[in-house]
Amino acid sequence: MRLTVSAAGSPHCLKVLAAAEWCRATVEVHRAAPEERVVPFLTQPRLPVLQLESGTVLFSANAICQYFFTSLGGDLNDSSSQWLEWEARELQPAVLLALYSHVVQGKKLQDVLGTTRKMLAYMDHALSRGGTEYMTGDMESVVDIVLWGSLYHLLNDASFLPEEFGSLKRWLLKMNQLEHCRSAAESLLKSQGVAGLKAYLQKQPMPIVTSEMATSN
Amino acid sequence: MAVPELCALEKSLGLRQGHKYSSQGDNGTVPVLQSNNGPSLVGLTTIAAHLVKQAKKEQLLGSSAEEKAIVHQWLEYRVTQVDRPSSKEEIRTMLKDLNLYLEDKVYFVGMRFTLADILMYYGLHSIMADLSIQEKEKYENVSRWFCHIQNYPGIRQHLPNVVFIKNRLYTNVH
Repeated sequence: MRLTVSAAGSPHCLKVLAAAEWCRATVEVHRAAPEERVVPFLTQPRLPVLQLESGTVLFSANAICQYFFTSLGGDLNDSSSQWLEWEARELQPAVLLALYSHVVQGKKLQDVLGTTRKMLAYMDHALSRGGTEYMTGDMESVVDIVLWGSLYHLLNDASFLPEEFGSLKRWLLKMNQLEHCRSAAESLLKSQGVAGLKAYLQKQPMPIVTSEMATSN
Repeated sequence: MAVPELCALEKSLGLRQGHKYSSQGDNGTVPVLQSNNGPSLVGLTTIAAHLVKQAKKEQLLGSSAEEKAIVHQWLEYRVTQVDRPSSKEEIRTMLKDLNLYLEDKVYFVGMRFTLADILMYYGLHSIMADLSIQEKEKYENVSRWFCHIQNYPGIRQHLPNVVFIKNRLYTNVH
């Protein structure tokens, strides 16, 4: 399998690298410029991309993470697929918007959290209500990696997280310490840091946040 | 918008109706499946996959890890790309991309009919209905796939039939 990640910090690459390592998937990792078109049928360049031996091309980071996970014999239950859908539909656009204001426009992190704040509250609530170590139970799952990867660029320094999100903070700190998360973050970010992310974000169309918030009761 | 679609899906799956839905989000675009025993489920693809499992038609979610991931990818595409408010230009780009993708495929997962076909069909219905005959010819692979799915037993339900002309009218559309 050939996994192509962005050479310039696309926020979605982190989770696939962490998931590949967590699932011990045998992948050849390549790096490409963000504007490189790796998916032959998509007009807009997308990264990360996983190319399978069969010729199948996966261009959705969450589908790639799911693939690594289900290859080990796991399957997504309702709660996991709800988290993954929520992450793609609500969290990703909101995080991208916040990152854009912060990294490209130079606004303070506290001021750009905006819509994301409600989503963080939703995650914090899910953790504290369930009283579990991880998002879907006491075992780490693909959901944790996907959510962590999404939030990492925004909250890698967990001290920026508002005080009231205690459960979320504990979860973030724990995720940051996990071996596969740490090494994914190091390998992806060591040479580029925020500058690489900035180059990536400047090339993105501004995300449209369609829905204020959509969470379960 | 999503709720009638889920009701149509229930019928196509042969499920006894009686699920209660509500919606949330801007303009009520995100469906919620209410439940008497346990938490409610939120989101179109999550609920659709739940209904498929309830109908014991898991093969519609893909049978291998690879097929499952492809189904997941196109369900996500449905919710994040097809359902996003888009300009005419963006819709054209999407149809062009899908046309290229479907060039060598019968269904979204190659030779296997899955939930991805059903939800992409529902999601693209209004776009396809608005296309001129010339545009339908331009996106010929999307049209072929769409026509195939709308004739698939039990899928179309309440949706109007979109007309495709069998013989080409325009010769130089490429």
